[in-house]
Amino acid sequence: MTSHPTIAFFPEASFGAALNCVAIAQALERRGAAPVFVCHPGFTGVFADYGFKEVHLPGAGRNDEAADYWQAFIHRHLPHFDLSPQDQLSTYVGPTWEAIVDTAIAADASLEHALAQIRPDAIVLDNVIMFPAIAQAGCPWVRVISCAETEIPDDNVPPYLSGLSADDPKRDAFETAYRTATANAHRRNTEFRRKRGLPALPHGRFMEPSPTLNLILSPDAVRYARAQPLDALTHRYLQGCVREEAQFDQPLLPNHHGPLVYVSFGSLGAIDVALIDRMIRVFATVRARFVVNVGGFTEAYRNVPDNVVLGSWFPQPSIVARTDLFIHHGGNNSFCEALFFGVPSLILPYCWDGHDNALRAAQTGVGRAMNRSAWSNDELRGVIEGILADRGMRSRLATCAAAMRQNPGRETAAAAIMAVVSKDQTRVAAAREPSFAR
Amino acid sequence: MNGFLVKREAEGYFLSADLDADTGVMESKLDTSSVSLAEIILADRAARRLDDLPSVSFLIRRYNTTRAAVLNALTVLQHDGIIDRIPGQSWNFRPILDTPNAVADSHHFRLILEPAAILAPGFSLDLVKARQTRLNLQKSLTGRLGNAAFHKLDAEFHMLIAQSAGNRFARDSLLAHHRLRLITQKDFGTPEFRLRQAQDEHLAILDSLERRQFDVAAAQMTLHLRLSRNQRPDAANRGSPPMPNGNSNH
Repeated sequence: MTSHPTIAFFPEASFGAALNCVAIAQALERRGAAPVFVCHPGFTGVFADYGFKEVHLPGAGRNDEAADYWQAFIHRHLPHFDLSPQDQLSTYVGPTWEAIVDTAIAADASLEHALAQIRPDAIVLDNVIMFPAIAQAGCPWVRVISCAETEIPDDNVPPYLSGLSADDPKRDAFETAYRTATANAHRRNTEFRRKRGLPALPHGRFMEPSPTLNLILSPDAVRYARAQPLDALTHRYLQGCVREEAQFDQPLLPNHHGPLVYVSFGSLGAIDVALIDRMIRVFATVRARFVVNVGGFTEAYRNVPDNVVLGSWFPQPSIVARTDLFIHHGGNNSFCEALFFGVPSLILPYCWDGHDNALRAAQTGVGRAMNRSAWSNDELRGVIEGILADRGMRSRLATCAAAMRQNPGRETAAAAIMAVVSKDQTRVAAAREPSFAR
Repeated sequence: MNGFLVKREAEGYFLSADLDADTGVMESKLDTSSVSLAEIILADRAARRLDDLPSVSFLIRRYNTTRAAVLNALTVLQHDGIIDRIPGQSWNFRPILDTPNAVADSHHFRLILEPAAILAPGFSLDLVKARQTRLNLQKSLTGRLGNAAFHKLDAEFHMLIAQSAGNRFARDSLLAHHRLRLITQKDFGTPEFRLRQAQDEHLAILDSLERRQFDVAAAQMTLHLRLSRNQRPDAANRGSPPMPNGNSNH
């Protein structure tokens, strides 16, 4: 086996996938591998700041065009985040799948070029759609499922993005509506795959399992008992996937009393400034300290209460490790980080798998779920204070965290990827040996 | 300024540490909570707790202090160019590094001026302070390095460069700006790898300056500032182009 195998990472252009891959890359690097990140435009420098080599896909336009895009995105989609998961299918999920397919088609040729340049020993793909360039790169590829476990269907698992329980009577209707909402994107992707030599996938599906290794970010505490267990040879569950981050230097607040609460709705959730500002007014009435990630929108806030500090970015694992409550959108990375550190989650989902994780947190007693915006000040305050006082939840989480920290997901992932590389290199070497058959 | 900075009339703020100073004591002074009312007001402004136009009566109530104390603090801030008096009982804050856009503007300003300050005639590195700064930078690399500790050392380094500038206007502008950064810029999330890399860049710039290779040092400063530009997108979503960001960490 090559002593320093090159592992190419291609996370989708979202912070959850990107930082999940950073955690695995950190563990791989300690095992002697050389991680290289293939970067979407806009993520330049994100991985270099963690010490990793980057190869960049071509840019997609000017900065002002991207800013205009996001203004339009906010205007168009903010109202959709208040809709039910069912109603989001046609308004948000369908259009997002269309955009994902556009991205896959646009990126595939340059991705092929980048992989030819890197010549990796294995490729780690953390995405929700397959790229033919990866399937045809001539080396093993590893799929990371960093969304909720619902992304891999099963009769005992709720439908993906539904926020429903597995046995909900509305299940069939949701699944039918999901296939309808994604039909056009699926048809376009099927055509693209056909041209690039990949077979069609079932309706509603955009990515196949890796034939070699699939890493599922789903800790024991929230895992589903599947009707058809996944093949243990090619699937590994990860007990979270938490990266090493900068220390969190906690600022001294004018009102520095009570437990510490961290609030982050991800970069997408931060665009809803009005909602976060409404929450901050409630935080002012709770005896606790609140650290609030407002993304790039700090300028929109005024008269910040004395028990609240805002920031555009925080080293999330470092701060979650020290908090008493994590209020978030149900992104799978955030949810798993809370579990890893034994911190209760209050999930206010606005889209995608946030709905699934919100339900799962409540079902398993590791957190609570609320509608993202339909609450009174008293209700939000009551839920926060209730969770902070819930010793039973804290005890369950402590047990869960201890188990996760005994077997950290990033190490499991790194060991499994190194084994894949080793096995593949053994296979290649064997194929090259001369045959002595008569 | 807690003994960390001393003010020289018409020159600006300077590091008070000399070679004999105990670095640990200096750091503890930096961390002390016994800060002046002017600093508290500025910190509250940076945390967006105060409006653009705070009235004296509001500040008296907020800080439970006397009118004289508030006026004294505002005068200090006015003298430092942080706040202006406007007709009536109000004061108007000038720009500080309290938002990502303001930090991006600061980065652009420094990218223009800091390399130019090194190249301008008369640049003369204070070798005594440079030695202390070098020791502090090296010491920071011996253990874990957090953002708060880095922020102070970063300010110390860049103020040393500013203080050594031969052009008096570049010197004054940069010193005032670095002081503003030291007090009002808060960055919590730069990965430790980048913090260490930046400290190495600081040391390499010092090497060049001590060899009097000013053109090399200016180029290194440009590179250092460009690498320090935080390019994390402000928003990212699957299927969507990331929304760019223009912040600088250090």
